[in-house]
Amino acid sequence: MDNDLRMENLYFRYHRSDSDVIRNLTLHVPGGRVSAILGPNGTGKTTLLHLMLGLLKPGAGLITIAGKTHRQYSRRQLSQTIGLVPQFESIPFNLTVFEYLLLGRSPYLNPFQLPGRKDREIVEQTVQSLDIAHLLGKPAQRLSGGERQLVHIARVLAQNPGILLLDEPTAHLDLENQHRILGLLQRMSRQGITTVFTTHDPNAAIYAADHFILMQGGNIAQQGDLDTVITAENLTGLYRIPIRVESANGHTMVIMENFR
Amino acid sequence: MQSRRFTLMLTLLAAAVLLIMLASVFIGRYPEPFWMPPALMGQDPLAKRLLLSLRLPRLLTALTLGMTLSAAGSVLQMIFRNPLVEPGFLGVSQGAAFGAALSILWFSSHPVTIELSATFFGLLGLLTSYWLSTRVRFGGWILRLILSGIAVSAIFSSGIGILKYIADPLSELPEITFWLLGGLYRVTWQDFVYVLPFAAVGLVTVWLMRWRLNLLCLHDATAFSLGASLTRERLILLVTIISATAALTAISGIIGWVGLIIPHIARRLAGASAEKSLPVAMLLGGGFTVASDTLARTMLAGEIPLGILTSAIGAVLFIYLMMSMGWKARHHG
Repeated sequence: MDNDLRMENLYFRYHRSDSDVIRNLTLHVPGGRVSAILGPNGTGKTTLLHLMLGLLKPGAGLITIAGKTHRQYSRRQLSQTIGLVPQFESIPFNLTVFEYLLLGRSPYLNPFQLPGRKDREIVEQTVQSLDIAHLLGKPAQRLSGGERQLVHIARVLAQNPGILLLDEPTAHLDLENQHRILGLLQRMSRQGITTVFTTHDPNAAIYAADHFILMQGGNIAQQGDLDTVITAENLTGLYRIPIRVESANGHTMVIMENFR
Repeated sequence: MQSRRFTLMLTLLAAAVLLIMLASVFIGRYPEPFWMPPALMGQDPLAKRLLLSLRLPRLLTALTLGMTLSAAGSVLQMIFRNPLVEPGFLGVSQGAAFGAALSILWFSSHPVTIELSATFFGLLGLLTSYWLSTRVRFGGWILRLILSGIAVSAIFSSGIGILKYIADPLSELPEITFWLLGGLYRVTWQDFVYVLPFAAVGLVTVWLMRWRLNLLCLHDATAFSLGASLTRERLILLVTIISATAALTAISGIIGWVGLIIPHIARRLAGASAEKSLPVAMLLGGGFTVASDTLARTMLAGEIPLGILTSAIGAVLFIYLMMSMGWKARHHG
């Protein structure tokens, strides 16, 4: 099964709002690759992720997840297929990291079931693969920003979805942690997981992604590979500031023009 | 917390609760203050009757009451992600109190009438709060429900004020007042049988869904992405455990602080995961309420209203918890 996502002529507006957040949006997210969604604040990136997830229902249009619409999945099947690392997630009541990570196994348990030995093993394997086994006993509220993001990713990997959505996974992280998270995204796509993330940093997108989506005013402005999408003209149009794109030794870099 | 240590803790707690219950049967003011020798059971028919038809149903009701209030407190605090929520909010306590006062004033003071009226208005409080929250036009659903609960409680409590004002100060007013103070002094087997089905459904549902509670207290998007049917699962939990609370409040009157403070102590002892803290809260709440009720009927020649006692002890515990938390915070600071 090809874990791709398709959206056709999608419209969405929030309850009691009088304008569309998503307007006639058509998009194809290729399966097994890393896609980055770029766009100014308030352009509907998070809304789009929530539509993909099925948390929000479109007013009109069609969404298919690995070839099926949301209605063709049960709640549990859907959560076994598509996972989310949201932009904000505080962990209430100070669960330990291990207790929090076990929640990643919920899609495989009914509401009355407790996680079993197999679930514990999967969580332990996941933390070992991310090299964060030392965090297991820690209270989740006492983690640093970088540790917290790694724990959120571990939680979604314990969920074992074919499609993974991440809302600004590198925001508020130092360079070392950004590097680590972006590397993880690439590693996941090598394992065949379709990865979609939003970011405000074009260089982070270039570092990790091989498919690029520019959003503007609730619609897709551009989509495609690096050379066609990440151009000075497109980015200057998107962010309304002068932007340069430099390429050297096979590396592309986006630079804001100096104002001085 | 490791599961072997947890099992040990749970076993010790259960043993302690059993011990409290066993002692409580023989503690009282007959034949003389504080202790009835168990041997008296065989000799004195009055002692036997007192024990079997007064102390035993009262004891079991106190246990059920404490377990239900603590479970309800745990569930509400987690679902609303707010450690200051207690089972009476959402208009349940004030609704039940209004129903009881209304019955005393206009229908009849017969216990069954009071219970039915109190349960009805307690549930009405819950449903009105919920309905109102769907009509509020701002805020997340937690804020909307909390605000609606406050408004509904205020309406019922002003209703209680009116009823007290027009009640006969010699006959009806004392009865209303004593009911509002809360106590189990009138409990019979009939009352226990009345609350049992409500309490059983509530406690069993919450017990079965105890691990799921952890999932339901995550943010909506995350909980949804992990397969939770948010509205349905939250409603199942709220309706079952709050119905149990309403039915018990109908018998006991307003018993404050148990549902607020016990979940905090349970999380302290067993950790934040509801898988462990919920069973601990149920046992602690049951034991605490049985012990408080035993004090309430034994300490003085007259009965001390249970609600006064639980509030006093609960507030002292709360102050202690706050101060010891401050100490901990400084040391980790």
